[in-house]
Formats: sequence, C-alpha cells, structure tokens
Amino acid sequence: MAGATRSPLVEGDTTVTDAVAGATVGLSAMLFALAIAALFERVNLTGTVAGLSTVTLLGGLLIGLGVAVSVFGLGSWFGYVETDPDASAGLIAGLGAAVPWFVVGGGVASQTLGFGTVGGVVGGLFVGGLTFAATAVPREDVGSTVPLGALLVLVGAVFLTGTIGPAWIWNLGWEQQASITAEFLVPTATLFCSLYGGWAAAKAYGRFGARGRHMGAYVLIYVNALSIVAFLFILIAFVVVQGISGLLNGAQVGAGVGPQVFGVVELPVYVPFVMNGVALLNDFQGVLPAIVGTIWLVVGAVLFAVPLGVGAAVFLTEYAERGRFTQIVEVSTNGLWSTPSIVFGLFGFAFLIPRFGNRKSLLAGMLTLGFMLLPLVLITSREAMIAVPDEYRDASAALGVPKWQTIRSVVLPAALPGVVTGVILGVGRIAGETAPILLTMAGGTFVPGGQTVDVIGGFEFTAAPPFVANPELLQATSALPYQLYALITAGVGLGSNVTDPDGFRWATALVLLVVVLSFYAIGIGARYYFRQRLRHE
Amino acid sequence: MSDSPQTQPQSQTRTKTTGSDQPLETTSGETVEETRDEWTEYNFDGEAKMVAEDLDVYYGDDHALKSVSMEIPEQSVTALIGPSGCGKSTYLRCLNRMNDRINAANVDGSVQLDGNEIYQDGINLVELRKRVGMVFQSPNPFPKSIRDNIAYGPRKHGDINTGLLARLLGRDDSEAERELVERALKQAALWDEVHDRMDDNALGLSGGQQQRLCIARCLSVDPEVILMDEPASALDPIATAKIEDLIHDLAEEYTVVIVTHNMQQAARISDQTAVFLTGGKLVEYDDTDRIFENPQSQRVEDYISGKFG
Amino acid sequence: MAQATRSERLNAAAGQQVQRVRDFVDDTEPAALVVVTIIALSLLAAFVGFLAVSNLTALPFALFVAATGYGWVRHQEETALVLTLTMTVSTLLILGLIIVFIFRESVPVLWYESVTVLGVRVPGLRMFIQPNWDAVAPPIRYSMVPMIHGTVMVTLVATAVAGPLGVAAALFLSEIAPAIVREFVKPGVEILAGIPSIVYGFIGFTILSPWASDQFRTTGQGSYLFVGIVVGLMALPTVVSVAEDALSSVPESMKSGSLAVGTTDWQTMTSITLPAAFSGVSAAVLLGVGRAIGETMAATVMLRGVPRLTEPLVNVFYGQETLTSLIARNYGEADGLQMDALFVAGVILFITVLVISIGAQYIEWRMRSKLGGEA
Ligand SMILES: Nc1ncnc2c1ncn2[C@@H]1O[C@H](COP(=O)(O)OP(=O)(O)OP(=O)(O)O)[C@@H](O)[C@H]1O
Ligand SMILES: [Mg+2]
Repeated sequence: MAGATRSPLVEGDTTVTDAVAGATVGLSAMLFALAIAALFERVNLTGTVAGLSTVTLLGGLLIGLGVAVSVFGLGSWFGYVETDPDASAGLIAGLGAAVPWFVVGGGVASQTLGFGTVGGVVGGLFVGGLTFAATAVPREDVGSTVPLGALLVLVGAVFLTGTIGPAWIWNLGWEQQASITAEFLVPTATLFCSLYGGWAAAKAYGRFGARGRHMGAYVLIYVNALSIVAFLFILIAFVVVQGISGLLNGAQVGAGVGPQVFGVVELPVYVPFVMNGVALLNDFQGVLPAIVGTIWLVVGAVLFAVPLGVGAAVFLTEYAERGRFTQIVEVSTNGLWSTPSIVFGLFGFAFLIPRFGNRKSLLAGMLTLGFMLLPLVLITSREAMIAVPDEYRDASAALGVPKWQTIRSVVLPAALPGVVTGVILGVGRIAGETAPILLTMAGGTFVPGGQTVDVIGGFEFTAAPPFVANPELLQATSALPYQLYALITAGVGLGSNVTDPDGFRWATALVLLVVVLSFYAIGIGARYYFRQRLRHE
Repeated sequence: MSDSPQTQPQSQTRTKTTGSDQPLETTSGETVEETRDEWTEYNFDGEAKMVAEDLDVYYGDDHALKSVSMEIPEQSVTALIGPSGCGKSTYLRCLNRMNDRINAANVDGSVQLDGNEIYQDGINLVELRKRVGMVFQSPNPFPKSIRDNIAYGPRKHGDINTGLLARLLGRDDSEAERELVERALKQAALWDEVHDRMDDNALGLSGGQQQRLCIARCLSVDPEVILMDEPASALDPIATAKIEDLIHDLAEEYTVVIVTHNMQQAARISDQTAVFLTGGKLVEYDDTDRIFENPQSQRVEDYISGKFG
Repeated sequence: MAQATRSERLNAAAGQQVQRVRDFVDDTEPAALVVVTIIALSLLAAFVGFLAVSNLTALPFALFVAATGYGWVRHQEETALVLTLTMTVSTLLILGLIIVFIFRESVPVLWYESVTVLGVRVPGLRMFIQPNWDAVAPPIRYSMVPMIHGTVMVTLVATAVAGPLGVAAALFLSEIAPAIVREFVKPGVEILAGIPSIVYGFIGFTILSPWASDQFRTTGQGSYLFVGIVVGLMALPTVVSVAEDALSSVPESMKSGSLAVGTTDWQTMTSITLPAAFSGVSAAVLLGVGRAIGETMAATVMLRGVPRLTEPLVNVFYGQETLTSLIARNYGEADGLQMDALFVAGVILFITVLVISIGAQYIEWRMRSKLGGEA
C-alpha cells in the first residue's frame, strides 16, 4: 500500500464554501471584463462606475478578490474548509507567481527607491525569489493563494490610495520618448491580477489537489478560447459597423434602378459602391474595377494552379513510388507553402514582369497568386487522394481497368470533395493577399469605371507571333486588397476625390472582407455538406 | 478457489429482473428454467462490491449491451466470457465509466460501487477510477520510461513526491517510489526482465511485457476493483501462469473482474463466471463450476463446448 | 557487403530509375511514345523560350497544346502519366526558379557591400555589420541590420502572443471542447486565418496605432509592440490548427490509460498528451513563427518606414521597419542597387522561413515515426 489518499466518491451538495468560491471566480470575471473595457476606453479611468471613481472601484475589487483568495487558502490550512491539497503548488505555479512579484519588486527598487536598472533587477530577483519560495515551499492551499492574494491586495491598495491615480505617468527616459501611463498600466495590471485571482479562486473551488489544478487550468483555457471567439466576432462586427454606411451610400431598391446587365435586364437594386468606378461626375463613387480585378485574379490563379496542383498530386499519389523523390517534392511544397507572400511578389517582379512587356499586369498578378495557391492545392489534393481507400483502386484494377482510367473514374471522384474544399479555402487566402500583387499588378488608387477589365472581350489576334494578344491581361488593374492599401497610404489626399474618405476606406475593407469570407463560408459549407453526405451513405 | 463462499449458495437470495423477463424467484426450479434463456441470477455469500442494474449501452443506434444486471462479489474473481463483439469490453468500461470517453456511447441504467451510484451527478470520476482500476485489451504504455510508467499514478495522486522541487525541498520520495515500482513489477511478473533497464522507454518492450507493464501500472495505484480485459492474450504460457497466480493472490484483497477468451483460464482462476452471448446479453451467471459442469442454458452449453460462438 | 557506400546506393537508385524508364519505353507502343516525346520536348522548348523572353514562345506552346490534345484522344494512359509527371516537375521548378531569380537579383548589391576581411573579399558583409541605411546621400549604404532588428522584435512579440494562446486554444479544441462547440470554433479559427492581412493592418493603422501612440506618449505612430501583437493574432490560427492536429494524433488509448489510473483530464493533458505531441506542438509554434516573419501588409501600414534601429534597442514602443515592410514600401521608387537590396531582404526572408519550414517538417516526421508504431 502506498498510503494512497482517499477522498469521498460522491461529492456532497453545494456547500457555502463552494458558493463563496464560485462567487470569487465570478468576481474575477467581472474584474476581467472591467479591465478590458477600461483598456479599450469603454470605461473612463477618470470617470465613475456605479457612483465610485473607476480607479477606486478597481482597487476595492482587487483588494476584495485578494482577501477572498487568501482567506480560502488560510481557511484550508487551518482546517476550516475541507480540501484536498497537495504537498506543494509546484514549480510552474511558483514561477507564475514570481513573475508579477519580480515586476513589482523591480519597479519599486529601480523607480521608487531609485536604485537604477541594476538595483531594479536585483530587487526584482529578490522579491521574485521570495515569492517563488512562498509559493512552492508551503502546502499547496497556502502556496497557491496567499502570495497571489497579497499581490492583488497590494495592487488594489496602490490604486485605492491614489499612489497610481488616473494622472500617473512614468517616463521611461529613453532616447525615443515613451512613457507608461495610468491609462495603460491600470487596466493591464487589473487584467493580469484578475486572471491570477480567477485561477487561484478556481483552484480553491476545486478544493486544491489534482481537481483544483484541473479547475484552475480550465478556467484559463476557457477564458482563452472565449476571448479568441469574441475577438473574431468583434473584429468582423467592427468592420461591418464601420463600413456599412459607406457601402450603402446612395443605395436604392426598386424596379429598374440598377444598372443593366447583359444589356437587357435591369437589376432591381442599385448599390453604387460596388457598381460604380470613380468618375468626376459620379454622385457616388465606387470600387467596381477592383472587385472585377479581384475576380479575374482569382480565376486566373485557379486556372493556373488547380490543374497543376491536382495533376502533381495524382502523380505523387498514384504513379510515383514513395521514396526520395516524393519526399523532396513534399518538403518543397511545404516550403513553398510557408514562403512569405512578399517573396512571391519579388519573384513575380523579377521573373514575370520582364516577360510580359516590362510592366505590371493582370497576367503577372494571376500567375504570382497561382504560384502561391499551387502548394496549397497540391497538399490538400494529396491528402484527399491518400484518404481514398486502396480497396477502391484494387477493385477497379482487378477488373482490368487501366491505371489512368481507374484514377479518373474512381480516385478523382472520391477525392473531389477534399480537393474542392481545399481549393476554395486556398482561394479565400489568396483573394485577400496584397503583398504579391503590390509588386506585380497594382494599378491606381482610384480607378475609373471605364477601366474595369474585360478579359474576355480583350482577346485579339495579331499577325506577328505570338498571334494572340490580350492587352487587358497585360495592363495593370486594381484589386480590392491593393485598393485598400492604396487608400490607406494615400492619406489625406483622398478628400478631393471622395466626400467621405474614411467611410470609403471602411466600405472597401468591408467589401474585401465579405468577398474573402464568402469563399471561406462556401468552403466550410462544402466540407460540411460532403461530410453529411458521406455519413448518410 | 478456496476463499470463495460457495458452500452456502442459499444464504442470501437476490432477485433481479432481466430485460422484460419476469422476476426469477429461485434458481433451483429445473423445469421452469428449461424454458428460459437467461440465467443471470446469482446467489452468493458475502457483500457485493459492484452492482449493475438494467445496464444498456448504445453506440449511436447500435444497442451493444442489453439490460445487463449483475452483482460482483467482493474479494473474488469474476470471469466474463463470450464470443467476440458480444459486449464484454463494453460492460467492463461501464464499471469505471471509461465509456464516457467515447462520444458515440450512451449508457443507461445503474452501476453501484459499495452502494454508491456511479452514474450520478457529482460523482468524482478521478476517485472512482482510482478505486476501480483497469487493464486494457491492448497494451497502452505511456511513451515514458518503465519507471515513470509505473510511478505515474502515485505521482499524479500526490502520494509520492519526486522531481526537482521535491528534491530541493528535501521531500524526495524516490526511495518509496523505488519500492513501490519494484513491488508492482514483481507482482506483475515483470521485475526480473526489466529491473536493469528501468529508464528505458516502455514502448521498446515486447507486446507481452507491455501487457504486464500495464498490469503493474494498474496495481501501483492500489485500486479496490481491478478490471482486466484479456490480460493474458499476448503472453506465453509461463507468463500466463504467473499472471494467473497473481490474479488468484489479488482476490485475497481485491475484487477482480477479468475478460477472457480462454475457457480453461476462466475455469482455473475464477470464482464465478458470466457468459455474454452475441447481441450484448448476459445469458448466464453463476459459480464457475456450475457454468462449466452444468450450464443451465443450452446456448451456453453450446458455446462452452465450442459448438457455437 | 552489407555496407554499401553512399555512391553505390545512389548508383543503384539511378539504375533503378533508368530501368523504369526503359520498361516504360519497352511497354509503350511507338506511336504513343512519339506523342509523349513531342509533348515533353515542346513544353521544354516553350519553357526555354519563356526564360529567354522570346516572342516565339507561343509556337512550342501551341505545339504542346496540340500534341496533348491529340495524345489525350489517342493515347490517354501515356499522356496522363507524362502530363502529371511534368506537373510535378513544374512544381519543383517553381521553387527552383524562385531561388534562382531572387538570388540573381540580389548579387550586385552584395558586391557593392562587400568588405575585405583578412585579405578575403566577403560579399554583402557590410550589410550586416553596420546599421546605416541611406539610399540618398553618399555614402550610400544598404544595411539590413535595422530591418532584421525590426523583424526579430515583431516576431518575438508575435510568438509570445501566438505561442501560448495558440497552444491553449489547440488543447481546448482537441481535448476539452464538447463536440458541438468544436464544430463551431474550428471553422471560426479557419475564418480568423482568412481575414486578409490588409484588413488587420487597416484596423491597426486607424485604431490601434493612434491609441498606442496616445497611451505611451510616443512621438508619431507605429510600434513594434503593437505590430507584433497584430501579427501574433494573425499567426494564431496557424499555431492552433497545426498543434491541434498534433494533439489529436496522440492515440486515444494512451489518454484512456492515463485516465484509468485516476488522473484528471488536465493531468492527462500535461503529463501524457502534451509530452507525446511535444514535437508536433513545437512544429506548430515554429510554423507560426514563420508566418509572423513573413507577414507584410500589417507591418507595412503600421510601421514608420524609417530604416533605423530604435533607441534603445529594446524600445518596443517605436516601430521602424521590418524586412517585409521594407520591400513593400520601397519597391516603387527603388531601382538599381536599392532594388537589389530589397531582393537581399527577400533572400533573407526566404531562407529563414524555408529553414523553419524544413525544421518543422523534420520535427513532425520524427514525432510521427515515434508514435506511428503504436497508433
Ligand atoms: N467505440 C465504439 N464505437 C462504436 N461501436 C463500438 C465501439 N466499441 C464497441 N462497439 C461495438 O459494441 C459491440 C461490443 O463491443 P465490445 O468491444 O464490447 O466487444 P467484446 O465482447 O469486448 O469483443 P472482443 O472479445 O472481440 O473484445 C460490438 O458490436 C462493437 O462493434
Ligand atoms: Mg473486448
């Protein structure tokens, strides 16, 4: 017998302790939210929240959280709370607690006491070391609560006493001036303190020990996952909110208000932003040429990369024997995949431009993006083909069907869903790329509607080789990402062309986002659809 | 088999419903029994360690275990036999809730450990699995050293402190750990083969050695119930004999539930045997002697004599 | 005799290839062989013509199209084989061409910036040992040092953001999240990867930069700290999805084995799953680093665009220029040596990221062969 510890198999009903611990976790969540709000100036530091000045409120809550957390640890230590602590909080908890105390100690030694940088480091190491010992040496319940609780109380007291008030500022004294202000420090410190407090409180809620650690870790991981999802939503919502007015500027709905398409039908909606170019006499300016440019870019890149990528994937999966050669191709495609987009741009600039009339052109942009798309198509197609079970091939081969016929009629159809999904997602990625087309295709900042590319109408035959020419392909044109970049860098000069430059920019960003995300939506939807179908077969 | 309380089979009578069948009043009415297909009532002396009642398991739409009710006597060896795919592993996994890991699995019914329902909210899964240990059907050592594999459980439970911090604080339990590891490995009949390479990666062991390693890993946390899913399937006769001895010894203190495809093994080591047949039904459960010498159900007799599987 | 030397092995391998080609020639009917040869040769000629910037490129290309069309109708098996082979070779060729062309363009400035050390002329050395970039006033100097410093600063901050958050999110997705949640969060991460970098840059430029400048009382806008944070968020999805793959590839039996001795999910994650997937997770972080290094547009619009070091070097509140933003900002005005200097920046980027990519693949490969036997 290893003197194994035994705890009750079934937990009792929720006790007061549980409720208090849960409330403490809730308190840190509230502090977290307040800190975020203050960081993004949704809550004013100099103002008041619920009748209290913001800094005072934050300080008070921090002290409350710190005290609650410490009381839990001490209560468990003195046996008032039934817990199951380990012998030590462990190395990682020790280091985690030492870091903020290192910062505090270093700051106090170097700034408040004026010991300079070296003194700061020494002071920080001293205080951090002490904290590490205080965390790691005592039993887990005390170690993982009291040092952090003390930190929270200290920070809270600093806020409460006004040692760091809303007007506090610390000039770093660097040659290129920079200062740490209360606007930054107070919310950031609160943010980290709330995370530490939440972690300790969750540990207490789980009654320390293995379960406590589990709880503590899960709280942080859930906060992280939630933050990422929230970030995504806020990002998209923000662009939509900012861009929607510019996008719908002058929009009309009604029979016959829209432009003619195919020379006959008149669209019942008119959204000038996506249906106009830029012209002096336009009531509303738009980005139609850039949209069309983006579409052609994507079409060109797909026409180039998909046959090449799928073909190479067929060869690698079906014909080539696994060995040195396939390995080299694999490593190269993965290398190609991670090559920075700007390097593709440089390559297009050095390789394609001189070969297409020495100027930036749509064709060069298409090919450059095609080069970028190629490795992704190859990798995903290959994965999809490898996933096709060998039985399919064997069954076909057993019937005496030649290899290519087998590939064509068995492997490719089975791999199609994977290939299609991969291509769509890849297209989403390249449609938003700016860097490569910057060097190979870029046109002007404002493109007149008359310069909307018309690739199909652009083909013409010539007497001299190469006999076919398409000036449209060989001309610079715009694309949405490039247009957005150009609008950003154009700065204030925009005002002379459009009445509301900011709205115009945001609307461009929104259109770009919508175009790119719809590729993703289609890709993800396609994958979902194929998976569902597979499940029902 | 000396320690199992088979001498007074009528001392404690439990009645049970099996599926939609009517309650059985007795196990001795031969004429009644001839018409029945399920003989799952088992009367034994002493306490039941684990009790399963009306246990159903579904994998999606697949009904893998059908209304199994079964009491497992404490400090004894219970063998589960039956053809492949009849739900033995599924049943075993219900006893320590490892089925929770399988997304598609749906468990319905009740299992009690020492009278505590384990399928209730508020059950401490960690504690449950500490008490109900498991040796899996295929060996699953961790990609760590042999020592770390065995000491893993006690370390994680905080029973043993090792590592940098423990050494710094002078709380190093390396000595206790060494003893514990040695004892567990000796119990599992692996010590002689590995004692001079405790720091080698466990994935480098042979299949049979890995299986014994997993047995040792399970013993090291000192569980009360040990679930073993074909622990001897990859072992040679000598190691098998050692494991059988081990199981026999374990029954002095622990409750052992073992799945096996080897009838002789079941007959040799178990006190009582439960026969599952295809479709996830517990068909007969009784003293091992009775099952092998005088099975009540025709299907069980066929299965045991190899006519059907 | 068991110890075949390397060259012997190579010879044997080459012999095998020759044998395979010979088999193919023997097994194929002459007509098909002719078509296939025409396809290959015409494509080769078209490629050479393209490289030589010849107007006649279209001729062999037309021949290639015609021959392929004919072969497709008459000899589909052989044509398909040769076509897919040429496609594979083209993929390799593109990587080769990238290497050749960006290196070639960077040669002149490397000569210009060479330094004689101990009597040996080291090309390009001066670009790395002095920190001055001055493309206008003599002495004209093209130093990469400020940009390398900027890239390092941005990458450090980005890794500090993307590494821990990404691994935590991957743990959440692969080990913790209920199936339903995963079904929604995983596409969310993909969409996050899809948001164009210029959109991030735009938001950074209009919202974050002014805000940061105000918060830290800096002169002007643009700081490595916030570029790093934005780039880190952009690299996050890469880290999450690769790390998640690595974590999910740890066999379930190992995780169950740990849970069955009575450990918590968290203990199983930290003691079994993460160590077993360690190489895959590090590869994920490495790939994230690669993404961060190569990120261009956000850096270009958020940085100041002055190629000099920050003072002091650790001053993250000022952001001057990175290797990527240098290229994106200067390609327009640059010509001659300055343009070539941009190619040097490209070469540095390319090599760094290629090395990272190969390293990550090697790590992943090792992990797979370690776990492979057991899975
Ligand atoms: N994870 C799972 N998902 C879906 N179905 C499962 C799963 N595990 C088992 N099953 C199904 O449940 C039934 C019982 O399986 P179980 O593994 O319990 O059989 P067993 O009696 O242990 O067989 P064996 O002797 O071969 O180990 C089988 O039909 C099997 O297909
Ligand atoms: Mg089984």
